[in-house]
Amino acid sequence: MATTKKTLVHDQEAEDQAAAETDVEAFADDVGNSSTLPEAEPYQELVPGLGKLNQDYIIPGVDSDETEPYRWHTGTKRDHGGEDAIEIIDVVKQFGRMRIQNGLNVGIPDDMISMLLGPSGTGKSVLIKLIVGLLYPDSGDILVHGESVPDMTDDELFEMRKKFGLLFQDGALFGSMNIYDNTAFPLRQHTDKSEEEIGETVNKRLNEVGLTTAAEKMPNELSGGMRKRAGFARALVLDPSIVFFDEPDSGLDPVRTALLCELIREIHEENGGCYMVISHDLGTARRIADFIAVLWKGRIVESGLSSDLFGSDNEFVSQFLNAETIGPLAMD
Amino acid sequence: MSWLAIPRDWLASLGEIARFSGRVVGLVYSGRVFRFFGEALRQAGILILGSAMVIWGLTFILGLQCGIEGAYFSRSVGAPSNAGTFAAWCDLREVIPYAFGYMMAAKVGTGIVAEIGAMRISDEVDALEVMGVNPMIFLCATRLLAAWITLPFIYLVGIGVGFIASYLAVVEQVGEVSAGGYFLIFWMFQNPPDLIFSVIKGMSMATVIVLVGCYYGYTASGGPVGVGTATAKSMVLNIVLVHVIGMMGTLVFWGANPRAPVGG
Repeated sequence: MATTKKTLVHDQEAEDQAAAETDVEAFADDVGNSSTLPEAEPYQELVPGLGKLNQDYIIPGVDSDETEPYRWHTGTKRDHGGEDAIEIIDVVKQFGRMRIQNGLNVGIPDDMISMLLGPSGTGKSVLIKLIVGLLYPDSGDILVHGESVPDMTDDELFEMRKKFGLLFQDGALFGSMNIYDNTAFPLRQHTDKSEEEIGETVNKRLNEVGLTTAAEKMPNELSGGMRKRAGFARALVLDPSIVFFDEPDSGLDPVRTALLCELIREIHEENGGCYMVISHDLGTARRIADFIAVLWKGRIVESGLSSDLFGSDNEFVSQFLNAETIGPLAMD
Repeated sequence: MSWLAIPRDWLASLGEIARFSGRVVGLVYSGRVFRFFGEALRQAGILILGSAMVIWGLTFILGLQCGIEGAYFSRSVGAPSNAGTFAAWCDLREVIPYAFGYMMAAKVGTGIVAEIGAMRISDEVDALEVMGVNPMIFLCATRLLAAWITLPFIYLVGIGVGFIASYLAVVEQVGEVSAGGYFLIFWMFQNPPDLIFSVIKGMSMATVIVLVGCYYGYTASGGPVGVGTATAKSMVLNIVLVHVIGMMGTLVFWGANPRAPVGG
């Protein structure tokens, strides 16, 4: 009798376990992928001297009672077959109590269009500012072509920035100059070219972005899309080896977004170099990205060639890149 | 919050402004600003075209006021021929420097905050940095150099305009003293060092106003509201500093020796 009771208890445990496994599978099916539910790893401070989570700082997207905020972050870096132009190593950046980057590691490949994707407020624009030296990390390192950006003096930094082009969200054109002078500005500051040579280069770039007829107009006379294109022409005028695009699609209609993407793709094919696009627009990602890194909670979830990432079995990556409503990312 | 927190914040802010100003002045003295001499000349042009007439208009009106006050006061004590005494001191030592300071703070200082602040919030300052251009030189040092190039001349002309206005008020309007009598006293109560001291006073005000304007514009944040707040703060600080410089200038230049040919 006792044996029978023991067997019943054992059977009950087996049933409970089976039911639990079924629940897990059902959940996994719900989020569109049955193969992965990452192992939970308790959160550990990367740099203990910089404080404790939820005590000294908070991370956007991490709940105060969450103990494994990085369970989806496999950190997998799939091989892209080339060299990295930019390497971000264990970067921590905090504003007040808000920690935006928390041990960020990623390599941005040379000679490809890379895309940094992630939910709003995850510090994508902050990352560009860290790379170009407008902000300094609290810890970690940023290497551009092997040189450490945070260790540079001001003069070295200004020199290094000549290899950068940056398209800001609204173009950041100088309001006191017309489009021609805006585009010519970097050439006038950094080269000894004659006005004639400058004119040739500027007109070529303005022609590429379709703004030849708007050369004499002031920035406030242009539409948002035209300002972006003018900013693009200015970003390219020194033939930079690294070009950043901070949400080039924001505020544009779908057709103009597609045209701008086509333009980015064409100019990259012509000039080469490392192009890094920041966005959360999947259409843009599908159109232009060769390489994708997905950022969430201050760390890279996964990075790799776009074909690999779009087929990733990571639940967060899969949810984000397929714009699904069910998965690790919720509205809050 | 302790009551000491507020003065401590003020001191911290003043320290920040002093450090920022030191850097900008250093960029001018080191000659690095001359890399953007074209921009400095453009800013000088803007100062001349945008502010000179306004400053001269104000000094003309205040010159008239100095003349009228001098004429009526000297008449009230039975010495109308001494109207030039009041006009000379009023114009050169106090009213023109203050008028210059007020107009600089109201027109040039706030203009600098608004312009650089707007550039800051629309990422134009960051764009300069990313293009490898030091924005502190391009935006701040060039404005300071432009002020130093143009403002001494604008100030000197302002003094001349004030003198003419005082003459018109005392001799042509009130008319109780002849032109020769007025000028005899008027020139007796001032000499070239006084003019130099006055220019130093005015230029000190102008330098401080430009630097304060650059600081508040360069550090503006918080969107358009932040730029508005920075503009208001710069105006308050500039008006206070104009009076401090005015008071200290009078004390240092004329406190020990009023340079008045009176009593032997």
